Amino acid sequence: MENKIFTEPVLKNTESLGFFEMIQPPEDISEHGHLIDYLFNYTTVMNIFFFFLVCIGIFGFSYLYHRKRHPKPYYTYGNKKTHITVATVIGIAVFLGIDLNITRLSNNDYTGIFINWPDESKEDVVKVQVLAQQWAWNFRQAGADGIFNTQDDVVTLNDLRVPAGKKVVFQILSKDVIHSLYFPNARRKTDAIPGRMTRMWIQFNKPGNYDIACAEMCGTYHYRMAAKLTVYEEEDFNHWLAEAHQIYNSVNDPEDPNIYWGWKWNSTSSNKKLGMN
Amino acid sequence: MTTMVMNNKREMREKMTSSIAMVLTLVSLSMLFATLMLGYVAYRFTSDVWPPLGMERAALELPTLSTVIILVSSLTYYFTETSFLSQKLKQFKVFFSLTFLLGVGFMISQMFLWKNLEATGIYVDTTVFGSIIYAFTWIHAAHVIGGIVALLFLIPSLTGKRDYLKGQIWVKNVGQYWHFLGIVWFILYFSIFIF
Amino acid sequence: MAFYEQHIHPKPTTFLSKYVFSFDHKVIAKQFLWYGIFFLLVGGLMALMIRWTLAYPGQPFPVIGHFLFPTSNGAVPPDTYAMLFTMHGTIMIFYAITPILIGAFGNFCIPLMLGARDMAFPLLNMLSYHVAVISGALLLGSLFVPLGAAAGGWTSYPTLSTLIGSPGVGQTLWTLAIFVLGVSSTMGAVNYITTIITLRAPGMGYFDMPLTVWGLGLTAILNAIFLPVLGAGCLLLIFDRVFGTTFFLAGAAATTGTGDPVLFQHVFWIFGHPEVYILILPAWGIVSDLLSFFARKPAFGAKATALSMTSITILSTLVYGHHMFTTQMSPLLTQTFMTLTMTISIPSAIFFANWLGTIWKGSIRFHSPMLFSLGVVFVFGLGGLTGLYLGTVTTDLYLHDTYFVVGHFHYTMAASVLLGGFAGTYFWMPKMFGTIMNEFWAKIHFWITMLGLNGVFFAMMLVGYGGMHRRIFNPFIYEFTQKLIPLNTFATWSAIVMGFAQIIFVVNFVHAVFFKKEKASDNPWEVGTLEWTIPSPAPHYNFKEIPVVKCGPHELGNPNLSNGRDYQYQTEELA
Repeated sequence: MENKIFTEPVLKNTESLGFFEMIQPPEDISEHGHLIDYLFNYTTVMNIFFFFLVCIGIFGFSYLYHRKRHPKPYYTYGNKKTHITVATVIGIAVFLGIDLNITRLSNNDYTGIFINWPDESKEDVVKVQVLAQQWAWNFRQAGADGIFNTQDDVVTLNDLRVPAGKKVVFQILSKDVIHSLYFPNARRKTDAIPGRMTRMWIQFNKPGNYDIACAEMCGTYHYRMAAKLTVYEEEDFNHWLAEAHQIYNSVNDPEDPNIYWGWKWNSTSSNKKLGMN
Repeated sequence: MTTMVMNNKREMREKMTSSIAMVLTLVSLSMLFATLMLGYVAYRFTSDVWPPLGMERAALELPTLSTVIILVSSLTYYFTETSFLSQKLKQFKVFFSLTFLLGVGFMISQMFLWKNLEATGIYVDTTVFGSIIYAFTWIHAAHVIGGIVALLFLIPSLTGKRDYLKGQIWVKNVGQYWHFLGIVWFILYFSIFIF
Repeated sequence: MAFYEQHIHPKPTTFLSKYVFSFDHKVIAKQFLWYGIFFLLVGGLMALMIRWTLAYPGQPFPVIGHFLFPTSNGAVPPDTYAMLFTMHGTIMIFYAITPILIGAFGNFCIPLMLGARDMAFPLLNMLSYHVAVISGALLLGSLFVPLGAAAGGWTSYPTLSTLIGSPGVGQTLWTLAIFVLGVSSTMGAVNYITTIITLRAPGMGYFDMPLTVWGLGLTAILNAIFLPVLGAGCLLLIFDRVFGTTFFLAGAAATTGTGDPVLFQHVFWIFGHPEVYILILPAWGIVSDLLSFFARKPAFGAKATALSMTSITILSTLVYGHHMFTTQMSPLLTQTFMTLTMTISIPSAIFFANWLGTIWKGSIRFHSPMLFSLGVVFVFGLGGLTGLYLGTVTTDLYLHDTYFVVGHFHYTMAASVLLGGFAGTYFWMPKMFGTIMNEFWAKIHFWITMLGLNGVFFAMMLVGYGGMHRRIFNPFIYEFTQKLIPLNTFATWSAIVMGFAQIIFVVNFVHAVFFKKEKASDNPWEVGTLEWTIPSPAPHYNFKEIPVVKCGPHELGNPNLSNGRDYQYQTEELA
């Protein structure tokens, strides 16, 4: 057995964090992650309000109508007009107040941003192809020729580098089982499915090193299918990319089939089936 | 006289009870086959060409033979039921035997069908096309075996060892199941072999 | 009303006909109860192993660690961990909740509350139990196969659950076990529905049935319709594994033509979403009745509650896609599922309001069944509201497959159903076994369970909000999860507390069933549903004479009642 798995570090300097800091989500470094955080907080406020009412009901009524305090119950079937009205009003209030509101917000964000694919002919986007496998992430950015799956592509293992401030479009596929490309610091994840390409676009804004994880059970080592996201300032990214182009062009062996897992970049249709036919 | 009438009423009520249960069972089984159909529709409509990978459709003779056998068996079962209800024992025995033989005949025609498919290169693991044909016909055939076993439960009525009214319940419910299997096969035949 | 009157059979005499191959719905109910409690303990132990690993990765599991995991120094190894969370989910859903809430309470309560002598089909009933036993044997057997038991999560998505991701016979046995259990539950469902339609006592219309029977009947309807869908999916998966079909294979694995792994997800969740309502509906029904009984007034809006439960049953069939938002279905489908999911709030809020209306202006007794029922109201309120985050697409994109989901479904399924099951056990113990469980220890059990339960599951939601994803052996290799270690440790200790609290229940239960001398009276809770009109424990024939129903099941606190009682039996004319 590989004992080194069991000696991974468990505790770091978390004693210094207060409770409130401990329960915060990871730092949001994306352009639109705040929309998700906002909707979450909005829903939480609504939920706290209604759950507070429920608790008043449970604890308040338990206290007020304890047998000793209230020996004679109020005999009703709850089918009088007022009763039905109150119950229905509560039901409709919850629906209109919480449900429809959050649906509206979510739908706006969903159609307006998250599946509103950038127009690649007009905008300067960074294109990344992702191949998930048990238990690693392969990333591919086109070489200087701008065409995917050629010798000069920058093909990395568990190492994604993107510029800050530009839209990054991912085309994602899996080699074997279903995985899920998860950026905690951008609040986003999309499944990587064998035989069907999925897409995601994110704009990262803050330079730094962040985690990428797999968020769909994919086998024994699912838990350490980690990758590193490095967000550069735009200049640094261009610098890195230019260097990478040169290095990979010379290092990529044109005879090695393992490198050529990429596919033609498909910029128009969504969810196009890949693989057979 | 009054006890017979009361018992009569009771047996009728028991018959209704078992009919309700049989209807529920058929609803459940319908959902099983409906799910298989859902899968088939999904595969068929998301694939650019059918059959995929240049495979050829299955030859229609044996599936059609199976269809004819099972439809005729539903007809013979219908006569089995009517002759039982009009208490014509000899006719009942004849049609029952025919239905039983046709049921077994259906299974035999299925086995020929599977052999024939393999001879034309369609195996259970040849693409999803082969997978569907075999999986669906196997699942249907498994339920037909159940139906044949159910037919055996009518034998006490044949030999006169069972109370007439109780026999009615058996004959009706087994019949519903039998006709159901015929309908399922018919739908299967049309959607997988013909369409 | 009843289609016919069932005969009184002679009392069974041999050991086999009394305890093993019994046709008596009450005995079958007890068989399911023991079966469910056994698997609850197994599943609970697995949960503790999971939580131990999450709090102290690499450290040997206490007491039995070195015996179970000799090669890894007593700690849970990663592949076993995957098997543990898979089996924990499977066992809790199919082998603990289903047998206890549906098998045990369904079997016990339905005929008694309807005024019938047994289920419509006693033989089918007995077979459904033994088929469940076969399924349990298959599942437990799969733990001992060479390449290990199923380890792809209880959802067993392909292609992980095909031979590519899970070689060996363990996953096949698991799939087969689930299929067989589906057969058992479908048999039970047909029985329950037929019994409810045909064997209600004279005078009992559908709205005179206790809400417990409503919950169980609606569960049976969902079971009958949607278990075969899971069955079909399981069969196709088995075919993929055994016969080489390619229904769910794609990508590099599909050497002989492609299937669609996501199709399995659709099929699975078409069953899966109704399944979660299947699990909760009996508990909702039980709580609706118990709140009325212990507040000594009729269930507020009982008809509306019944209809709300029915509309939730129907709506639950339309919302399954919210489990699949990250698979990128078409935008139209995604939006439709989101909106439909939201509509379930309306009936839920209505019957929730009715629950509160039931205890409003009541005269509440806080016996243990009532405490547990109020506990259900609390945890389901919390759990249900957290579902909203998961129903909206954009928040789900963050929260999917994190511990937030785990916290949510444990609140709504584990907490609510467990508390509802305890409420039912404490409540029907007199009728089942003829004794009352010790009330003092029952209350202790309640408070410690509530403490532990809220600790674990609320911590899980916090941890999930912090981004920690699920089904991972050692979450702390990531930077972003480091600060969540203390919360995880807290959750583990809450789980341990909750686990130990169940020992109190088991001791109390075993004592009441086997060792208690003091017998319970016929109607210790002083309520009017039909099962309390007969002796405790119920005689094998249930009712000497079939009762004639003259009023509803919640006739409590009627000011016109004159004979010193504050309730009336359903067989009495409305006062």
